[in-house]
Amino acid sequence: MDASNPLATAGRPLSASRVRPSRRVADRILILASTGATALGIIVLGSILLMLIVEGLKGLTPELLTAPTPGPGSAGGGIANAILGSLVMTFIGIVIATPIGLMAGTFLAEYGRGSKVADIIRFLNDILLSAPSILIGLFVYTLMVRPMGTYSGWAGAVALAIIATPVIVRTTEDMLRLVPSPMREAGAALGAPRSLVIRTITWRAASAGVVTGIILALARIAGETAPLLFTALNNNSWFNANLLGGVPNLPVMIYQFALSPYPNWQSLAWSGALLITVTILTLSVVARLVIKDQRAR
Amino acid sequence: MSANPAIRSQFDGRSPADVKAPVRIAVRDLNFYYGSFHGLKDINLDFRDRQVTALIGPSGCGKSTLLRTFNRIYSLYPEQRAEGEILLDGRNVLDPKIDLNELRSRVGMVFQKPTPFPMSIYDNVAFGLRLYEKLPKSELDIRVEESLRKAALWDEVKDKLKQSGTGLSGGQQQRLCIARTVAQRPEVILFDEPTSALDPISTGRIEELIEQLRTDFTIVIVTHNMQQAARISQFTAFMYLGELIEFDATAKIFMNPSKRQTQDYITGRFG
Repeated sequence: MDASNPLATAGRPLSASRVRPSRRVADRILILASTGATALGIIVLGSILLMLIVEGLKGLTPELLTAPTPGPGSAGGGIANAILGSLVMTFIGIVIATPIGLMAGTFLAEYGRGSKVADIIRFLNDILLSAPSILIGLFVYTLMVRPMGTYSGWAGAVALAIIATPVIVRTTEDMLRLVPSPMREAGAALGAPRSLVIRTITWRAASAGVVTGIILALARIAGETAPLLFTALNNNSWFNANLLGGVPNLPVMIYQFALSPYPNWQSLAWSGALLITVTILTLSVVARLVIKDQRAR
Repeated sequence: MSANPAIRSQFDGRSPADVKAPVRIAVRDLNFYYGSFHGLKDINLDFRDRQVTALIGPSGCGKSTLLRTFNRIYSLYPEQRAEGEILLDGRNVLDPKIDLNELRSRVGMVFQKPTPFPMSIYDNVAFGLRLYEKLPKSELDIRVEESLRKAALWDEVKDKLKQSGTGLSGGQQQRLCIARTVAQRPEVILFDEPTSALDPISTGRIEELIEQLRTDFTIVIVTHNMQQAARISQFTAFMYLGELIEFDATAKIFMNPSKRQTQDYITGRFG
């Protein structure tokens, strides 16, 4: 065979493989290993979900959503107070975090591009993003609970906001960076001041991604337990409208009830866990749909 | 250097360069820096009123850089700076005291890739109008229609003005960007390779459009495509490595250039 002529191989029968056997084996092993690892992950996730659904559904009664948590040893009860407490604190948390995260992300992507200050802020934000959430709970304990002399829903909401903010900062910056710079130039070329270009063009172009970031932050804080342990604590009845004193919430309720010796508490913990998981799952799916919708446009 | 008859025939029946037209933009001793890189070197050049001037040259020669000084769009990037004078109707554009937003309403720009804003077709065109003029709705409607007509887009979009501008085809998007620029009634329109992202048919329409726009505006166009420069411009500037090599009437540049480098470039020997 003439090695200098690539067409010389054309005469070979098609069945003869050009691939070395060792390559084929390596290929098979890699396929097997990656499929196996994926399967393992899905099996773990699937069994957790299955267990949650089986155990959680047992306690799913109308009372679950209407009655407050029962005292130790008393029968029945629901988790309505914990659901409400969680909703209120998560809502306040995201309301605090969204404007801060949006503005900081905008600064990083638009005004601070390439500046030292922006680099430092971005670095600190990344640290905050991965900070142990129990530390954030302790921080807010020192900042708010000690001076105020009481646990409160406010402290809980602030702790959640501190966790949500870096998530929103990060996604906002990333999404704004995806907006091509000729878009900003085109705005500026029409004589639009920078703030107007940001408000009417770049924010709008990145809106779906930014909203997704906020939803993901919401999903993240909806299930956080550690930051609430030292701030909102928990309580076994309805909470004060001024949010002072312990405010019941799902994650801490699950934590306490699951460890308790009372079967009805354990059952409530299962149902609470199911509820929280479904909520987070729904939020994540919604976030994905929003992004998909944006891409389709 | 004798003129090729095929090239000469391109210029038959074309509007010739009007060397007596008043100077709209005068560039004087312009130097430009990207950080420490010297991007433009001592450029001196006049752009005449209601003429199309093409900037040609190989990639990196500084033609886009030069274009981007006229509306100071480069100043969005702090590491870029220009020295010298660019006189627009006698006023120095590079003067730090000049109102940038007012300058940019007088010197419009159309980019390489179409940049429709994420809003309706109507709002895209009205964007620049709403910035500085408080027009009543009826007046705004008229200006939007007039601009879309000038950009040869009206017939295609008149029934879907409320639809998103990003849903149009690439060629339509580019004409939308032209309409948006025209709406502000600038004096000068800068085109930065406006057809390089478009198919041949869309390119043809944009070229026709530029020809028509010349009756109202002074036009500067950067192009990679020498045939395009020959087809649509009255004047051509050939640039190389940040320097202006030759500037003359387009017919002269393409048929009888006086510099060797220009000759080599237009005959495809480099670039």
